[in-house]
Amino acid sequence: MSTETTIRVELTLDGVARTAEVPSGALLVEALREDFGTTGPKLGCATGDCGACTVRRDGEIVKSCLELAAGAQGCEIVTIEGLADGDELSPVQQAFWDEQAFQCGFCLSGMVFAAEDLLRSNPRPTDDEIRWAISGNLCRCTGYEAIVEAVRTAARRMAPPAG
Amino acid sequence: MIAAALRYDLPRDLDEALALLSQDPATTRLLGGGTWLVPELNRGVVNADRRVVDLRRAGLGEIRADGDVIHVGATCSYAALEASELIASRLPLLHAMAVGVTGGRQIRNQGTIGGSVAAARPQSDAPGALCALDAAAVIAGPGGTRRVAVVELLSGAMRTTLRRDEILVGFEIEQPGGGHGYHKLKRAAGSWPIATAAAILRLDGDGLIDRATLVLGGVCATPLVVPVADVMAGHRIDDDLIAAAAQCAADAVTEPWCDELATGRYRAAVARPVAHRALIAAQSAAIQQRRSQL
Repeated sequence: MSTETTIRVELTLDGVARTAEVPSGALLVEALREDFGTTGPKLGCATGDCGACTVRRDGEIVKSCLELAAGAQGCEIVTIEGLADGDELSPVQQAFWDEQAFQCGFCLSGMVFAAEDLLRSNPRPTDDEIRWAISGNLCRCTGYEAIVEAVRTAARRMAPPAG
Repeated sequence: MIAAALRYDLPRDLDEALALLSQDPATTRLLGGGTWLVPELNRGVVNADRRVVDLRRAGLGEIRADGDVIHVGATCSYAALEASELIASRLPLLHAMAVGVTGGRQIRNQGTIGGSVAAARPQSDAPGALCALDAAAVIAGPGGTRRVAVVELLSGAMRTTLRRDEILVGFEIEQPGGGHGYHKLKRAAGSWPIATAAAILRLDGDGLIDRATLVLGGVCATPLVVPVADVMAGHRIDDDLIAAAAQCAADAVTEPWCDELATGRYRAAVARPVAHRALIAAQSAAIQQRRSQL
């Protein structure tokens, strides 16, 4: 069995068809950063604990340090870079900006994806639901209060009128 | 970065997966969800691994009922279990387990029930819940398909009786009836469980207990089946009986598991209260379930 040291990975990245030669042992987050040049997803723990590498793959949020780049063949990947519409931030991004819900920013893309995912299925979350939704993401600056406030703000702005 | 060059395959059905595995079982790892395998490969724990066969497109993600038996495919993610109405209505214990898996929505999208059993981590939720449900594991290999109780499949911490040339295909679970309770002790919302307890109690037409099951997870190297039926079967349910059953759980812990989360002494000490909480929840659910049938 011959094993190649690099493989060709074709995927859709933030809406654009892309191809790169990737080391066969690369994690998806490493390939996104090193080979596709998209540095929004961060490599933190590489054990699936911190959530900083979160991306959306084929509609579902995943931790990209737990995925092999080879497994992303043909997938549709959305990173934090793909959420804004030109210069216009997504409602969740705008809420994080307005509430200053980031300090160093390392956890930010993961937090935004976790928040977006929550609000898609639950437009009016309780505080407990917000905290549970971001429980797979660690903020090393411990700025959780502002993050929860940002999700509340995003929910308020995005929710359809009651009744 | 995984230092070794890896060959990655994504078989489209079970036969193709078995054929790929058979080429060199000793250096091939099966990927169920990747939440444990990928970090392990990344740390270089096993340098002999050269090939990954990803089972996620091999048609092993089905959930279906066949009479009283519910089939749960090995590559069902926790999110799929969470979303399944069949699981919610007929195996609510499995639903409760899946909903509470820690690590965020991402992990529930990625982690699979079969992957959890094959990884056989003592702290994982799924093995204990499956043992409480008397689940049978369906295993495919070169010689055909075999079935073995999940409780027998798990032979130690991070060890199973799966052979290197076999694939865990899924689980067969009979709807247990009655009511369930599931309690988990963990340090924070996002941390691994320290101890879990899964309880099932069922009452007969006279209100006497005709099924009592209690399994502790995380407390020992493998799920601990506590012989609570010895003290509960045929009895009317009350607080004293629940307390006696919880004490059984504490007495059953002879070799507690120890890791960076908690010492063995701590785990042995929490066995009784964790079991007690699961049993109380199962008691309420069993009484409610019987009332709904009257």
